[in-house]
Amino acid sequence: MNTETLDKLDSYSKNKYKYGFVTDIDSDKPKKGLNEETIKFISTKKNEPEWMLDWRLNSFSKWKKIKEPKWSNLNFPKIDYQDIYYYSAPKGFEKKPKDLSEVDPKLIETYNKLGIPLEEQKVLAGVAVDVVFDSVSVATTYKGQLEKLGIIFCSISEAIQKHPELVKKYLGSVIPPGDHSFSALNSAVFTDGSFVYIPENVKCPMELSTYFRINSENTGQFERTLIIADKGSYVSYLEGCTAPKRDENQLHAANVELIALEDAEIKYSTVQNWYPGDEEGKGGIYNFVTKRGLCAGNNSKISWTQVETGSAITWKYPSCILKGDNSIGEFYSVAITNNYQQADTGTKMTHIGKNTKSKIISKGISLGKSQNTYRGEVSFLRKADKARNYTQCDSLLVGNKCGAHTVPYIESKNNSAVIEHEASTSKINEDQLYYCRQRGLSHEEAVSLIVNGFCKQVLQELPMEFAVEAQKLVSISLEGSVG
Amino acid sequence: MNIQEIYQKNKKNIFFSENKDIQIHREKLINVFITDRFDKKSNESLKNINLKNFFDFKYKYLLPEETSVINNNQDSSYSIVSVNGQCASFKDDKIEITKISDKDYNDFSKNNTIEKNDHFVNLNSLFLNSGFKIIIKKNNNIKIKISNIVTDDDLTIFQKNNFICEEGSSLSLIEEYENKNNSTSNILNVIKLEKKSSLNHFLIQDNSSNHNLVITSHSSCKKESFYNQRVYNFSDGYVRNFHFSELLEINSEADLQGIFFLKDNNTSNNKTFVKHFAEDCKSNQVYKGILKDRAKATYFSNTHVDQVAQKTEGYQLSKGILLSDNASYFSKPELKIYADDVKCSHGSTIGPIDENAIFYLRSRGMSKNAATKILISSFINEELSSIDDEQMSELIQKKLIRYLSKVK
Amino acid sequence: MFLEIKKLSIKIENKNILRNLNLNINEGEVHAIMGPNGSGKSTLANVLAGKEDYEILEGEVTFKNKNLFELNIEERAQEGMFLAFQYPVEIPGVNITPFLHSAINSKRNRFNQKEIDNLSFAKLLKSKASDLGIDIEMLKRSVNTGFSGGEKKRYEILQMSILNPDLAILDETDSGLDIDALKIVTEGVNKLKTKSNSFLIITHYQKLLDYIKPDFVHVMNNGSIVKSGGSEIASEIEKDGFQQFQ
Repeated sequence: MNTETLDKLDSYSKNKYKYGFVTDIDSDKPKKGLNEETIKFISTKKNEPEWMLDWRLNSFSKWKKIKEPKWSNLNFPKIDYQDIYYYSAPKGFEKKPKDLSEVDPKLIETYNKLGIPLEEQKVLAGVAVDVVFDSVSVATTYKGQLEKLGIIFCSISEAIQKHPELVKKYLGSVIPPGDHSFSALNSAVFTDGSFVYIPENVKCPMELSTYFRINSENTGQFERTLIIADKGSYVSYLEGCTAPKRDENQLHAANVELIALEDAEIKYSTVQNWYPGDEEGKGGIYNFVTKRGLCAGNNSKISWTQVETGSAITWKYPSCILKGDNSIGEFYSVAITNNYQQADTGTKMTHIGKNTKSKIISKGISLGKSQNTYRGEVSFLRKADKARNYTQCDSLLVGNKCGAHTVPYIESKNNSAVIEHEASTSKINEDQLYYCRQRGLSHEEAVSLIVNGFCKQVLQELPMEFAVEAQKLVSISLEGSVG
Repeated sequence: MNIQEIYQKNKKNIFFSENKDIQIHREKLINVFITDRFDKKSNESLKNINLKNFFDFKYKYLLPEETSVINNNQDSSYSIVSVNGQCASFKDDKIEITKISDKDYNDFSKNNTIEKNDHFVNLNSLFLNSGFKIIIKKNNNIKIKISNIVTDDDLTIFQKNNFICEEGSSLSLIEEYENKNNSTSNILNVIKLEKKSSLNHFLIQDNSSNHNLVITSHSSCKKESFYNQRVYNFSDGYVRNFHFSELLEINSEADLQGIFFLKDNNTSNNKTFVKHFAEDCKSNQVYKGILKDRAKATYFSNTHVDQVAQKTEGYQLSKGILLSDNASYFSKPELKIYADDVKCSHGSTIGPIDENAIFYLRSRGMSKNAATKILISSFINEELSSIDDEQMSELIQKKLIRYLSKVK
Repeated sequence: MFLEIKKLSIKIENKNILRNLNLNINEGEVHAIMGPNGSGKSTLANVLAGKEDYEILEGEVTFKNKNLFELNIEERAQEGMFLAFQYPVEIPGVNITPFLHSAINSKRNRFNQKEIDNLSFAKLLKSKASDLGIDIEMLKRSVNTGFSGGEKKRYEILQMSILNPDLAILDETDSGLDIDALKIVTEGVNKLKTKSNSFLIITHYQKLLDYIKPDFVHVMNNGSIVKSGGSEIASEIEKDGFQQFQ
């Protein structure tokens, strides 16, 4: 890196998180701390049936026995689970509002500020949105139109009430509560999230979308998302996340389970822009997320796309279990870390069925004093005849105080399966910078352009509407250090 | 597992057990063994290992009657027959061979920053019963061949060797491990390359199925030195090849390569790890394996680039061919990079022999078996053609043909 | 004076590459610099464009009455200097159209001109491309990525025609081109030539100068210009090689 670039790195070290405002709204909280009382409080608030409470308590007893996973390349102080609020709802949400006129105008204003079109008339064509504010789902748009097709798109709390048979059958079937400590934690205290069911042979005509926002102080957010694509169906789902600027760290431990039955396809896209902390590394979200998809049926497909720019800590491995023959798993990821952010993210592709295919494209960009790790596991089990995997993970370093790490685990137990893995780490190519600047682009524009080009393979996987947003987000994330 | 008991019982038979410093160090090691749960899940270097074989063993050692060093001045080469890990002392104007000393032991135990908690290395330190030190004197260019022989059944050899290449020296070192008896060798090579020195190190491993070989090397390179290691593993018995290199000063280079041929129920664990601590250094880590029957292998590679190590070039490649449905291969090629001006990459492939290539060769009239053999040979052709020592090249070819004759 | 290089000496990695080099270019002139490999021709091009890994030992360069060394790479470009690279670098994932669009607007921004909008730019790009016989399909690709040698050079000329520079430096644009590609490229250059813009053509072979007629030819050797004159010098080189100037 030449001196000019280093000077720029210094002069542009202001943080520009524009979603960092707080909405001043009364909220309804239980006492701090994790115990059976808290869990019962949540369950009662949500008017849950007994089986649900039992499931939560059972998960809690598992959580008490499991230690936090230690293998990641992350450094953070021990989380004090007793110093967190496990439920927070804007006052007056004991009963879900029937329509938007019942929603606190301040809340609507918040979402407008975030650019989330809550009011139906402002909704972008073709996107149905479920919004989760702190712990509760606020509104689901386009509900009527989806119902006509038999598609269920509602909050998970509502699904527990109205579709208990589906919830009972699938909740925890891909991520068992006892899988690891964060899945047990989420299973015990999850407050809300989205539920999607696409019936047989239905192609969902619009993008389904959830927008998550953490507002209250010292509040953990534990949402649970469950998506079931029945035989021959298709759905594309997008989630976005923001949180206010606060000096304390906030915990976010979501669980997302996807189930694709025979010939079904689920496309799941995430643009994660939780508050990353300030330039000194103070504050920010601890993002410990478990996302796992099961290609249960033959010829099914699950595709994960993620753009991770936020959070102080990201611990996240959207995975695919390729059980059905000919099933396909994909993972496309862009992770950008700046200042003191730490990300340890990647995927796990477990090939069980014959002719299963997976593809992993990961692009990591480290700036400032951040640490960015790709961690991925690809395994071919004994019966995965003719399975294929292709993995490509590239890292880019901008500045000499950050780190980029690649930790792939590759295992084959089948001699007809083929795994191919490529990875590279380098700094931004000086010749490319020179070329762009010779055409009159400023240094910052050139960096932004090259990084966007570097990420293109991933960004082009996002649904149209969000690809543009994501590109902007990539440029904004670079702003902190290159201009 | 009771490492402590085994140690106490055989203390008399173990090097330096009277030395206070070493006693303290060993007590610490014993403690590590007692507290560690030997959890294969959290300690992946234990993957596929029969723990009982190595950590709950019968200790037995015999001091050999004779060892030899033969000096052939005509081509400045030396032949050493090391029996049960021992080597006779020797000195001339080019090299010096001595027994390993307590000072060498302490040097290693105090300065080992490469990999602190390697159970096998700890075991080696604890039960040390043999080993030697070879110094190649300044500006000499020599060749050494060492045959490592274990004389009896049930022996447990714990051997620590030091190789020091002084400034400007150049050494070609061929080590052979061809043991046919039921015994275990745990060998640690500590290698130091001073300024402008180079070491071409060949390890030929061809033990029978009842001999276990654990071989670990820690090499460190000073300015403009070059450590070049080639491992050829044809063993029917278990082999663990763990090789670490530290590039301490500018313009140094480490090249760690290996090929292994596994069959039946055999297992091999492999690891290479290069740490870059200086600018303008290069490293290569390339392992290729062929596995048939129920063979299992692991290969971990790791390039660590420190913040000061700008202009690093680091390359890793791992390739595995599975010839049977029951063979398995695990690889983990890691990059840990803290400097920005680097070019590092790794590639890894695991799969069967290319079916299109087999089809092509068969369409030219070749049998499937012949085609398979040709393709296996071509898979490692680069490694074989890079051997410039004719005698050794022939030797490796012979062993390859022997392995291929078992391929159906 | 349009471009004036005075007593320029340059060092790269402890080697003196340019020594006491003098060159003046006026508006509307075409200059050619010829010289054997390693004579410092490409270094001169990169020094003018502002590549950062050289050290100025002595001398000065003024471009449109400004001290060139006080401008960074993009400022020189925005002021109207264009370098057609000898080896254009591939930039995967960066699409040609938005790339050039940003480039042209950065120039307009410098002079407080209104930015050119998407639609007008797309029209401009299409018409310039068809002038140069460049397939529209090519404009959907990433910058230089997967281009053949000839395509890269043609694409450099396309960029030049869009950015419409005051001084275009062609660094061995003829190398690696077959005769047909050479014709297309040189025709493109000839079309761009006006009374107010200037060209500095760097080449190893005389062939290029059959298609673009230079007003002045300079012979470069060992980091300095050893002979200057009209196009007759090119023919001398064709006949007797560079040796006569050493």
